[in-house]
Amino acid sequence: MTTPETNETLGVPKAEFLQSVRQALGREDVPPAEPYPRLTETQAELEDQAAQIRRRLEENLPALLDKLAEMAALGGWKVHRASGVEEAIGYIESVARESGATNIVRSAQDVFDQVPVDAALTNLGLKVTTVLRDEANTREALREEIRQAGIGITGADYALAETGSLIILPRRGLSRLVSLVPPVHIALVRPEEVLESLDDLFLLRRLEYHQRGGEMGSYLNFITGPSRTADIEMTIVEGVHGPKEVHMVILG
Amino acid sequence: MPEIKTEQFFAASAAAMKNPKLRRALDRVGSGFDVARISAIDEVTPEVWEQWRQQGRDIKVHTIEHLDYYLDLLYTNVTAAGGQLHFANDASQANEIVAHIARTRNVKVATKSKSMVSEELELNPVLEAIGVEVWETDLGEYIIQLAKETPSHLVAPALHKSKEDVAELFTEKLGIPYDEDIFHMAATARTVLRDKFMEADLGISGANFVVAETGTLVIITNEGNGRLCTSAPRIHIGITGMEKVIPSMQDLAVFLRLLPRSATGQRITSYVSMITGPRRSDDEDGPEEFHLVLVDNGRSRMLADPALREALNCIRCGACLNICPVYQRIGGHAYGWVYPGPIGAVVSPMLIGLKQAKELPQASSLCGACREVCPVKIDIPRMLLDLRHKSAESPDKSQRSAKAAERTVARLYAMLMSSPRLLRLAVRCGRFLQKAERFIPFFSPLSKDGKWIKNAPLPPLSKWTRSRDLPTLPKQTFHEVWQKELSRDDS
Repeated sequence: MTTPETNETLGVPKAEFLQSVRQALGREDVPPAEPYPRLTETQAELEDQAAQIRRRLEENLPALLDKLAEMAALGGWKVHRASGVEEAIGYIESVARESGATNIVRSAQDVFDQVPVDAALTNLGLKVTTVLRDEANTREALREEIRQAGIGITGADYALAETGSLIILPRRGLSRLVSLVPPVHIALVRPEEVLESLDDLFLLRRLEYHQRGGEMGSYLNFITGPSRTADIEMTIVEGVHGPKEVHMVILG
Repeated sequence: MPEIKTEQFFAASAAAMKNPKLRRALDRVGSGFDVARISAIDEVTPEVWEQWRQQGRDIKVHTIEHLDYYLDLLYTNVTAAGGQLHFANDASQANEIVAHIARTRNVKVATKSKSMVSEELELNPVLEAIGVEVWETDLGEYIIQLAKETPSHLVAPALHKSKEDVAELFTEKLGIPYDEDIFHMAATARTVLRDKFMEADLGISGANFVVAETGTLVIITNEGNGRLCTSAPRIHIGITGMEKVIPSMQDLAVFLRLLPRSATGQRITSYVSMITGPRRSDDEDGPEEFHLVLVDNGRSRMLADPALREALNCIRCGACLNICPVYQRIGGHAYGWVYPGPIGAVVSPMLIGLKQAKELPQASSLCGACREVCPVKIDIPRMLLDLRHKSAESPDKSQRSAKAAERTVARLYAMLMSSPRLLRLAVRCGRFLQKAERFIPFFSPLSKDGKWIKNAPLPPLSKWTRSRDLPTLPKQTFHEVWQKELSRDDS
């Protein structure tokens, strides 16, 4: 494999490009005349706003869970509200049985300590693979496991009541492909992961970005319902490149 | 750049109107996209929708006014996240950047998710010329790639094709039995492309937004091909126009509310993916390299013209196409270049030159529907008028839309309208001719009910009636009615 050269300058050098933009704008001064309020917020201000969000979420949690369930169902999720761990596992077992899957992949997230699905699914005679790299499980081997799987199970980083979306931040233990490649995806959502709005989400992500010194991970994904297309005669077809069937199990 | 056929606009639009298959396809756009858009907006109150539009517009206006600043900030943050940002002045430079990356990394197979900018650049042939297999993976784009055609809509590139067209295409190109079941055809595309996703070395995507504060590329999709293109291959290249930058991640919220509702009538799309740099060392998967290519390709011309700058606010939702009475009758291909519809009639002349695309700003009744549906309140009719003005007043003869004859007619018309006596005389002459027409055998310029002139015999009227009808002169003019009524009141 070719080693990528770092910091190549391809195309036009930045200074030259920016100069032509500036010329088109008919402006000589570099910075914005009025600073953009959002970008000048301090970390303390963001933390303050985040604390307010957290308080609001706590106060409204039952209503938010209802809203999440309602919006997720409108967005195409099959929503199941589980009153306890056993009920959640029971639901996952029934989805597994009905799907006819033989192989299942899941991410390595701490929700699975709370909801131990592996034993239950293995008892059904299914092969369950945790997608977490180590010496035995290379990227390539895990990718092949994901390709063979009939179901992918993940937790949530957030769930958005406004849109009924699951939000995941792929990283170590949370593959980008587990929720994407198998034809069925099951997502486990805990009440503490629920946010009210897009504004809440982006504020919290910004705060984390600044708290971590300008780092917030490589990927963030919103998932709202199954994969869809309407590219032939505007007829909606589900499951074109991603999962056809998606289940959101809300613990609470 | 793709072949420019904007000069054939009149012939192409006339042909499109006579194509019954296209008419059926375009009817689906109105009943599909626009009805969905209206019901999605009805869910929020008109006040809230208006507030979102204003917010979206304000963010765009601010960013474009300070584009140099935000591009610089973006550069810093893409680099800090371990990615590389490349700037390109024009299409060939942008294509060369991508080709260089493909060559030096030994890329054999590339998968692409939908990108209108890559259509504008005509990137695929450049990659194919250096031996890279390029696969369009959005179902609509895949269909038109197989058919060797261009997109006819910003959001639904293959909407001009019927299911029978697609079934025939799949039979011919993939060697499978004819099957016009839409679900089966989508499944076929899934199977064919699934292998390609896993095999690809390079994933190419467009971008709906890029966030300066964090160096993040945002794509909004429904099929999942965008996620696969940006997750499975070892290299990801995002390509987009330089105007797609927004300041902060928090600015995204309003655009995620505006764009899906305006484009497809969804509250949110199936997927929104936000990519910041390549995969980190301990990530389970994701590309090892992340490149972002930002192109100018004529956009600085728009930026430099205060009257047309706001065209850069466009978020490519396609709502103005879906509502436009002209687009709904002629479809996207008649516009002759990548960007169709009302916004295309502004953007194309600016990107490829008004000289070649001078007919496009004329392709509008200026009804204003596009302005009303635009999620960022772009005043498209104002810009169409501005382009018409520029084209009519151009010192370059070949670029000028108004011919000497047209100017003379306009002058005569002005004379007529400013003199009541002349106007009365002209109306009398016209009525006489309208009556006299009945005595000419075998030829009638009028419609059967006598209310419309369909084929005027002499220029300049004959030119007008070539593509429209003209109302006949009434038995009594408004003036005459007024005077009669007035005299009755007096008596």
